[in-house]
Amino acid sequence: MKLNIEGLLVYFPYDYIYPEQYSYMLELKRTLDAKGHGVLEMPSGTGKTISLLSLIVAYQREYPLEVTKLIYCSRTVPEIEKVVEELRKLMEFYSKETGEKNNILALALSSRKNLCVHPEVSSLRFGKEVDGKCHSLTASYIRAQRHSNPSLPSCRFYEEFDAMGKQVPLPAGVYNLDDLKDFGRRKGWCPYYLARYSILHANIIVYSYHYLLDPKIADLVSKELSKKSVVVFDEAHNIDNVCIDSMSVNITRRTLDRSQANVETLQNTILKIKETDAAKLKEEYRRLVEGLKEANVARETDIYMSNPVLPDEILQEAVPGSIRTAEHFVGFMKRFLEYLKARLRIHHVVQESAPQFLKDIFEKVCIDRKPLRFCAERLRSLLRTLEIADIADFSAITLISNFATLVSTYSKGFTIIIEPFEDRTPTIANPVLHFSCMDPSIAIKPVFERFQSVIITSGTLSPLDIYPRILDFRPVTVASFTMTLARTCLCPLVVGRGNDQVAMTSKFETREDFAVIRNYGNLLLEMSAIVPDGIVAFFTSYTYMENIVASWYEQGILENVQRNKLIFIETPDAAETSMALEKYQEACENGRGAILLSVARGKVSEGIDFVHHFGRAVIMFGVPYVYTQSRILKARLEYLRDQFQIRENDFLTFDAMRHAAQCVGRAIRGKTDYGLMIFADKRYARADKRGKLPRWIQEHLTDGSLNLTIDETVQLSKHFLRQMAHSIHDISNCNVQCFCQLNLSQEDQLGLSLLTLEQLQSEDMLQKIAQIAHQA
Amino acid sequence: MAALSEEVLLVVKRVRQRKQDGTLYLMAERIAWGPEGKDRFTVSHLYADIRCQKISPDGKAKIQLQLVLHTGESTNLHFSNESTALKDRDAAKDLLQQLLPKFKKRANKELEEKNRMLQEDPVLFQLYKDLVVCQVISAEEFWANRLSINNVDHSLSNNKQEVGISAAFLADIRPQTDGCNGLRYNLTSDIIESIFRTYPAVKQKYGENVPHNMTEKEFWTRFFQSHYFHRDRINTGLQDIFSECAKQDEKGLKSMVFQGVKNPMVDLLSLEDKSLDEGYGSNSTAPSTSNTNKTVKENSNSAIIKRFNHHSTMVLAAGSGKKAQTVCFLSKRSWHFVIKCCGVFQVKIQDVIEYEDLHRENGKKTVALNLKKSDSVLSGSALCTASCAIAALSPGGVLMQALAQQAINQMVPNDVQGELKHLYTAAGELLRHFWSCFPVNTLFLEEKVVKMRSNLERFQMTKLRPFQEKVQRQYLSTNLTGHLEDMFQMAYNKFHAWQTRRMMRKT
Repeated sequence: MKLNIEGLLVYFPYDYIYPEQYSYMLELKRTLDAKGHGVLEMPSGTGKTISLLSLIVAYQREYPLEVTKLIYCSRTVPEIEKVVEELRKLMEFYSKETGEKNNILALALSSRKNLCVHPEVSSLRFGKEVDGKCHSLTASYIRAQRHSNPSLPSCRFYEEFDAMGKQVPLPAGVYNLDDLKDFGRRKGWCPYYLARYSILHANIIVYSYHYLLDPKIADLVSKELSKKSVVVFDEAHNIDNVCIDSMSVNITRRTLDRSQANVETLQNTILKIKETDAAKLKEEYRRLVEGLKEANVARETDIYMSNPVLPDEILQEAVPGSIRTAEHFVGFMKRFLEYLKARLRIHHVVQESAPQFLKDIFEKVCIDRKPLRFCAERLRSLLRTLEIADIADFSAITLISNFATLVSTYSKGFTIIIEPFEDRTPTIANPVLHFSCMDPSIAIKPVFERFQSVIITSGTLSPLDIYPRILDFRPVTVASFTMTLARTCLCPLVVGRGNDQVAMTSKFETREDFAVIRNYGNLLLEMSAIVPDGIVAFFTSYTYMENIVASWYEQGILENVQRNKLIFIETPDAAETSMALEKYQEACENGRGAILLSVARGKVSEGIDFVHHFGRAVIMFGVPYVYTQSRILKARLEYLRDQFQIRENDFLTFDAMRHAAQCVGRAIRGKTDYGLMIFADKRYARADKRGKLPRWIQEHLTDGSLNLTIDETVQLSKHFLRQMAHSIHDISNCNVQCFCQLNLSQEDQLGLSLLTLEQLQSEDMLQKIAQIAHQA
Repeated sequence: MAALSEEVLLVVKRVRQRKQDGTLYLMAERIAWGPEGKDRFTVSHLYADIRCQKISPDGKAKIQLQLVLHTGESTNLHFSNESTALKDRDAAKDLLQQLLPKFKKRANKELEEKNRMLQEDPVLFQLYKDLVVCQVISAEEFWANRLSINNVDHSLSNNKQEVGISAAFLADIRPQTDGCNGLRYNLTSDIIESIFRTYPAVKQKYGENVPHNMTEKEFWTRFFQSHYFHRDRINTGLQDIFSECAKQDEKGLKSMVFQGVKNPMVDLLSLEDKSLDEGYGSNSTAPSTSNTNKTVKENSNSAIIKRFNHHSTMVLAAGSGKKAQTVCFLSKRSWHFVIKCCGVFQVKIQDVIEYEDLHRENGKKTVALNLKKSDSVLSGSALCTASCAIAALSPGGVLMQALAQQAINQMVPNDVQGELKHLYTAAGELLRHFWSCFPVNTLFLEEKVVKMRSNLERFQMTKLRPFQEKVQRQYLSTNLTGHLEDMFQMAYNKFHAWQTRRMMRKT
């Protein structure tokens, strides 16, 4: 259908539209008009992605000079591919409706592992190996060496691309990862570098957060993207953690030992080169004197050594004299390492700020701030000069140099914590230096400053006002959209008590309580008897799950659960968990039914959807608070309090509730889906917790569904499931009352949660739609 | 006598039955007794027909064996050879004890099947009540063509489909304390089979050790003592024969994990596009993988978790049997996935991004019956009558006249309607039996058709008449049973025609 969104013609590739999609597009359009940033929350399964794409593509066509590029960031590879497929659908609709060929170039970019077509390299299993192998074939100096020694191995795909690929731009179209690979194979060009090159002139790019948020990568990949781009962060509920992760460094004794070895290798190599090719080192020295702003010719393949500091803070000055010669730099690094080693030799926890650290290092070993800042850059230059082939080996020293640069660049927003041992094992010395970023806005700041519109969107962003605060930006639109439903297909219930009236909670004081564990077990057992197909249960942490599973096993609860369903459990090992997941789905498919025990904040809770029968019920055992005893967290809370006036408890609750919402939201992936959401902790009934759930869940959480006992829960669930289980056919024979309530055939959804174009144009519908968006 | 080709397992002489001396034969499929000096059996029972055997108490003077049949009849056998009577009886008893369960299963299955069919189909059950319980036709006749239809797919599936395993089968082996510091486990053959199917390693061990190294009992005792069974106990000794099983399981699990998953949507390893390098990130305190850091409890906890995953996987695998069979379990969603191995991901994604309800409904696709030569199909004489009948039954047709004006459900109370319905189904069943005899080309069918006719008559007398009278008492005007009678008449006519033709041929 073609829509008129405040004067903008939008092609929407479906015959009907959900009211909230329309509302979403309205808000989005206003954001783009204002050239500002937006925070939009809309439940998953209501077609967020297609709404975003339809509107932004339409906007791009209408105002090609205002918005030149759409940068769509998603979190996982399957998500990225999904977005591209939706985009393809949209483009097909465009060419069908307008009859003309699209001249839009859209492509996905992913790591080498997902794009490489080199037969040997792509067969490697881990991303790091692929990167390393690729690097050893395509690094600039390796290719330079090949000029003198043609027998060295090369990657023909890269060579072909380098020779031919840049002359003609990639023809317009939509390229998913597989399309890029196909194209690359056909042309004999490397798809990875082709994609990286093509994003410069592509209209739409879909890639993962890291390419924009991790300064080490962003500098290389996304540096030259146009300012007039619209950036979308989808599934952005965890964006602050991504930002923090990309800026934080941990140094263990092992890192230092490996760095030590690295330094020695460097030293030996320097000596060797000095004997054979002293000119090379001299040339490097000359370059360093001139400054770091060297031409970036043929450097694209040297992905490893990019600066951890942000693009616009790249140093314009020349490298200070004290580390300019190779020997001096190596000596400098040695000193730095010795200092770090000494710092790790402690018996009590130390916490200090970056300036304190710098002061201490100056006093103890006379290392100045300035050369430290240039460490990463200097190392990068040295490694290139020394033409070291297997760069992956130098990850330790690179880490150290990145740390040096970061610690000397940022005086605020970071903390240094040195712990002599893990809290759980105080007898085993395992010193770690955490250089921890506490301020997510540092990493994302350049994104907000550089691009004209940044949209942060997800199914769960409540409470909406907290994101602008912790990311430190001023949005022009902040809105939450509910899911309009013809039938209430989600059923949130808060179970607060067991049948014995003992409160159910994962509160620290009572979580090991026998009665609590037993009640949790009974809840699972009862649900396993009444819920069809799949049940997913989330625990607050892995250790907690282990303990509970063990005591359920001892009490024989799991045996009884097994009478109803098979049990699969998430483990810390990703491969093992993947297999458990697949078997879980198999068991749901063949009708046996299964239970998956999983962990909030784990990989499953973040990346796996349990559509339809794969998740008819989600049970959230407890409130998934983060482990509050961690010093890093404490430092972060303190920082948030001082800098952003966010109270500790508010943040902790917010963080717990967003994860809980993520977990329970896994089961509802659309309007035709249905599922139970069981919050098994009495604390969920409190207003401060409940109020932080997304609006589309809160709406259905009535007073009657709070603080239930297990029996009451079972009754309500049975009722809900029975209602939902009526299929469309059953209902058409049912009486009229039933019909309105349950039938999900299109006629009944129409006008309520599904609109035709005509309906959309009517006055009162537009008024209704205006209510869907809830301005924060 | 068929006995010639049968294998005789046991012969016992001097067995009295009804005060007559004779010989008892136990054969492969039946037990038989023949009086002395005659070469035929006066008593012969298939093992499948025997419900149980009973023996006389030890102290009694008469040493007897009683066979109770499913029908309730019983046969007493008196072992009268004074010196060896007891031994003879016990030999027969032991052999029967071995033989009966084998046949019982088969008989039970049939009974179970019949039972199931009756339970699942209320109409059939009613029919059974109307026809068999009221002795219009015998049970065998009733089941004759029902089970045969059924047997076809039954035998097909019987060979292939195995019963799944309960996930909780180990839980069913509840240990009981025997009062003197020991535990007693009750094992049934079902549980043992479940264990073998779920844990092939145990089966292998069983094959290796029983009976040369140890008795069966000893084997299971050791099994229940092993850490393998109690997975939360950490492996301690090497003398445990099951420690190897645990290792094998571990290996199997590892190889499965290494193979990775086929469905990219659940592959957690490739989910992340770019994981952080080692040393970056806020909470990457490099999980201490070394076991030294773990407490014993943690180790046992993770062992339990592993065990559950493994157990569920094995149960699932045992349930789905061979690889090929798993295909049929998968629903449409994964069908794509099996068929197209290369384009898997695309299909999956297409499935995921599709919003079904946003499309205009295209109407349900129906397949139209396309008859190329409808004339030839309809030209058969049988079909001619069929189309006539349809015409008669269509609104305005002959047979519809009586009812056309007023719908039956407005005139007749519900209980009469229900009764009428039952009559119709029962009559329909009988008529089906009757018509299925034509063309009558075998002796058996000849017999059957005659019998069926009498059945029809009996039905008309015992069921239809009373109903008619009842209706007439209440509703004089309406003729509810006219159509039924027409159908009967039609059958009688046919029978009559057939009979006259047969007489003609004979004479």
